[in-house]
Amino acid sequence: MNDMEHRKTNNGEGRRLDGEEEEEEEDEDEGNGRGLDAWERAYADERSWESLQEDESGLLRPIDNKTIYHAQYRRRIRSLYSTTTTARIQKGLIRYLYIVVDLSRAAAEMDFKPSRMAVVAKHIEAFIREFFDQNPLSQIGLVTIKDGLAQCLTDLGGSPDSHVKALMGKLECSGDSSLQNALDLVHGYLNQIPSYGHREVLILYSALSTCDPGDIMETIQECKKSKIRCSVIGLSAEIFICRHLCQETGGSYSVALDESHFKELLLEHAPPPPAIAEFAIANLIKMGFPQRAAEGVISICSCHKEAKVGGGYTCPRCKARVCELPTECRICGLTLVSSPHLARSYHHLFPIPPFDEVSLSLLNNPHQRSSRACFGCQESLLIPGNKPNLCVACPKCKQHFCLDCDIYIHESLHNCPGCESFRHSKIVSVTEE
Amino acid sequence: MPQVKIIAKNFMDMVASLPAMKLDALYHNTFICEAILRSLPPLAKKYVLQMLYIDVPVTAKAMEEWVLADGFSKHRVAIDRLIQLRVFTETSDRKKETSYRLNPTFQTNLQKHLIYGGVLPREPMPSNITVRLPSLDDLEAYALVQWECFLLQLINSTQTEKLTNFSSSLMKVFQRGLLTQREKEAPRLTESGFQFLLMDTNAQLWYIMREYISNSEERGVDPADLISFLLELSFHVTGEAYNINTLTEFQRNTIKDLADLGLVKLQQGRKESWFIPTKLATNLSMSLSDTSSRKQGFVVVETNFRLYAYSSSKLHCEILRLFSRVEYQLPNLIVGAITKESLYNAFENGITAEQIISFLQQNAHPRVAERTPSVPENVTDQIRLWETDLNRVEMMPSHLYDEFPSRDVFDAACDYAREYGGLLWEDSKKMRLVVKAEIHLHMREYLRRPK
Amino acid sequence: MAIGRSAVMAPVPSKLYSDDVSLLMVLLDTNPFFWSTASIPFSKFLSHVLAFLNSILLINQFNQVVVIATGCNSCNFIFDSSSVPANPNLENGRMPALCSNLLQKLEEFVTGDEKLSKEVLAAGIGSSLLSGSLSMALCYIQRVFRTGPLHPQPRILCLQGSPDGPEQYVAVMNAIFSAQRSMVPIDSCVLGAQHSAFLQQASYITGGVYLKPQQLDGLFQYLSTVFATDLHSRRFLQLPKPAGVDFRASCFCHKNTIDMGYICSVCLSIFCKHHKKCSTCGRKRQSSLEG
Repeated sequence: MNDMEHRKTNNGEGRRLDGEEEEEEEDEDEGNGRGLDAWERAYADERSWESLQEDESGLLRPIDNKTIYHAQYRRRIRSLYSTTTTARIQKGLIRYLYIVVDLSRAAAEMDFKPSRMAVVAKHIEAFIREFFDQNPLSQIGLVTIKDGLAQCLTDLGGSPDSHVKALMGKLECSGDSSLQNALDLVHGYLNQIPSYGHREVLILYSALSTCDPGDIMETIQECKKSKIRCSVIGLSAEIFICRHLCQETGGSYSVALDESHFKELLLEHAPPPPAIAEFAIANLIKMGFPQRAAEGVISICSCHKEAKVGGGYTCPRCKARVCELPTECRICGLTLVSSPHLARSYHHLFPIPPFDEVSLSLLNNPHQRSSRACFGCQESLLIPGNKPNLCVACPKCKQHFCLDCDIYIHESLHNCPGCESFRHSKIVSVTEE
Repeated sequence: MPQVKIIAKNFMDMVASLPAMKLDALYHNTFICEAILRSLPPLAKKYVLQMLYIDVPVTAKAMEEWVLADGFSKHRVAIDRLIQLRVFTETSDRKKETSYRLNPTFQTNLQKHLIYGGVLPREPMPSNITVRLPSLDDLEAYALVQWECFLLQLINSTQTEKLTNFSSSLMKVFQRGLLTQREKEAPRLTESGFQFLLMDTNAQLWYIMREYISNSEERGVDPADLISFLLELSFHVTGEAYNINTLTEFQRNTIKDLADLGLVKLQQGRKESWFIPTKLATNLSMSLSDTSSRKQGFVVVETNFRLYAYSSSKLHCEILRLFSRVEYQLPNLIVGAITKESLYNAFENGITAEQIISFLQQNAHPRVAERTPSVPENVTDQIRLWETDLNRVEMMPSHLYDEFPSRDVFDAACDYAREYGGLLWEDSKKMRLVVKAEIHLHMREYLRRPK
Repeated sequence: MAIGRSAVMAPVPSKLYSDDVSLLMVLLDTNPFFWSTASIPFSKFLSHVLAFLNSILLINQFNQVVVIATGCNSCNFIFDSSSVPANPNLENGRMPALCSNLLQKLEEFVTGDEKLSKEVLAAGIGSSLLSGSLSMALCYIQRVFRTGPLHPQPRILCLQGSPDGPEQYVAVMNAIFSAQRSMVPIDSCVLGAQHSAFLQQASYITGGVYLKPQQLDGLFQYLSTVFATDLHSRRFLQLPKPAGVDFRASCFCHKNTIDMGYICSVCLSIFCKHHKKCSTCGRKRQSSLEG
């Protein structure tokens, strides 16, 4: 029933780390001519009863997925935090990314359902939205490879809808794929961008070969010289030239095993990569924060050159009206952003340290008056029987939080409620900055 | 389920149909004001809050300015409801402009309620007198047992262990519409009877309450008093004991009936006797609005059409027997299968596929309830398909025209029938025509007309 | 088929869901520096608020109200209408139990908050800890989401009088974005003399309502007309639109509000003046080009 299906997917995810096992499973299924139904297979192959647990009195106990999940999450957070502590504030945050989509005939293969091309397009849409969410000032452009030629589908721009629309309209595949042509094209475009931006290329490669007009090694060296960071996600198998490209330019190379793995790999590229010092040229760029006009105010907008009523933004330097942000003021050339756009990235700059697990011995100590409720959500930290449950504590303000709040605080909120709720602990952190 | 909405609204319609004086008298009771307020549509509630401290009439136009274009129908529904229940009074001035005002009694009572809170007409009894109070779980179990007992008796199953104290005439009133009795035969459930069984408890409760209240006049009880008492009862605290001496004569009689239904539990101490409201009673005011309650479900339906119901209740077994083949009945598990025969049986009794499917969905076990869909799609599709199987043949009364004198007459007749949308079938070779029965007379006259 | 009740405090007693069931988180500003100069006394303000809270609990049996106090030096939960009352004889969440519980806890909070005041510091005096109470409110809302697919629709109402504390800028923005992602609207009712840029941005980004009442004497009327509307009905009603949104940011060096500044291209910190070195990421400027 429900339980078994749930566990099946769980097991599937766990096995992905070891890719070979997964292939074996698939072979078994294909070779199985007995035609078992899905629910019958659950009994025959999975033996889900073996994963049941018993508690002290011999009664069956539901699997405590929660602590396993939380332990995985904590490992992830710790590894992220330790690698980024030194490099944390040197992240390239204005990124110019070209996504190269391989539309050669290999993209029509149906090993990804319904076809590689369809899967790639669907996940690119999600990626684009996530990318703009995490990098509000960055820009994306799309390039396709078809019939051995590379074509620019959309120019570098900051609006997700136009990219998605353009991609969905051009989903046909044919011919060979040419890595060198794509790199040449992208190289040409990326050379024109201002020096404070980070240049990146993400290639989604389905083919197993490349059909190039010249020496691809030269192209790779040129990309390396222009400081373009190229990453590849392969859909078929690992190819030497892709690995070489990524190694030379400092990008990452991975091959997707199935659709959900592909999605994971793709979304890994959304948050900013650690910027390597020599690549980034620091600049202080002058920008303006326009006020939004009240509804009902009539003014002539500078982008459409016509009178408009209602919401629009006023450039602080020349007082011209623009329709949307971010943009460049056409009159005075000032880059205009809305401050929330920038603020979305600030949690990368001021991350909160991972919370420490409170040892059970400390909690069980009768002299220690441990908190009875999570500071954030007021949920009781005691399990029935008045015994203390697992909880974590912030190293700065020492408040106790439950496991779910821990995950929420680190993944979404980026504020520690304890540190924010006590003024005098705040004073300490301000002077640190 | 559509059935729920009809019944719930009927109660409010019943309240609204009380004569104006009685309705205004009802509003002297703060708790009734609160219950009525809670039963209003969301927009109406907001209007009441807005107008709570405004003493002058507000023009209808002013109220309309608050609403956006696509909310206008909701606005009208809300205003109509408020006027129906006499919460808003409408006045027109000389300029023929309508304005609205809150009913003054309603207004004062709500204002007081906001600031001072409500005080029940009775306090719970001190715990030194009340001994052996049942725990909340016991109380809930008791309510369930009583209600099921009543239902079993209602459908006249031979499985009732004890009979309730309702007079047979009252039971007949409840059974009216649910059971038919032919001479010398055991009473059988009608179509509405089956549908009644598949509704959830609150809907069933309101159906019974509605019949009880409509019947109250015959028993010499004022319906307004009864409604008032029922609504007041819903504001008591579940599990607390209240002294029976604080009730009036007719309230005491009513309490006995309510005890049979499982809404209260009567207990006797050494000197005093008291009643304890159960969850069924305190949820009465909630069911006035359009939500249907979700109690813990118990049915798991699998993709292989097997049914597992974690219940020990005889009533549930009976209900499941309506449309499935019950195979085993273990101490706390009922195992069955949904088969074509069992479903055909149900359809013949007048149950529709939608009712069966919504029963299964609303009573889905918590484990499956979180999944979408809670009942597997192949099962729901198949149930619907089997239902349409029975409807493959559609019958329509019609007439056959034969032996036309000439082709022209035949063609003219065809065109005429087509004009009126009554042509069902034609065979031009043999010159035969089938038309709907409704236009038969017109056809005859047309054909008789001299050309 | 008994429905088991766990002994542990249940967050919401039943899992019913209808269109207008709401969870209202009220963030109450208790900053004594503001209230000493406000146009109505704190006690009168409280009476309006209590009547409003009671009316919310009145209109739907399953509505839930949680009050968090935003103090000068600390924040804490004051009242939760769904928690089991200490005195089982009084119905929870109803007057006069609502009154006495809330007022008692509020008084304890205010006295505790004052004790935490250390010597007068230049930074942050006059502002209350909005970021703290917003974060606590959002954590609580996440807990409600976790109770299952049927839960009341949450929203946050900030009753704020103190001016914005620019040192809280990053934390407040983090909270706003998290609220936006969870689709929790933040309504703002500004009680002070000047507008609050933080709350204007909060209501704009999350889709809530921003209002600065003209007369605090009629606060209950403003609250019941505008802020009592449940989320479902808001689609059909014309609610007050703000007169523009103040999008200015605070500079990282002096915490001043600026509308034009210099942004470090590596870490996006905002500065009001040209610096040789970005103080956040330690990057030296390598070229003197302006972007």
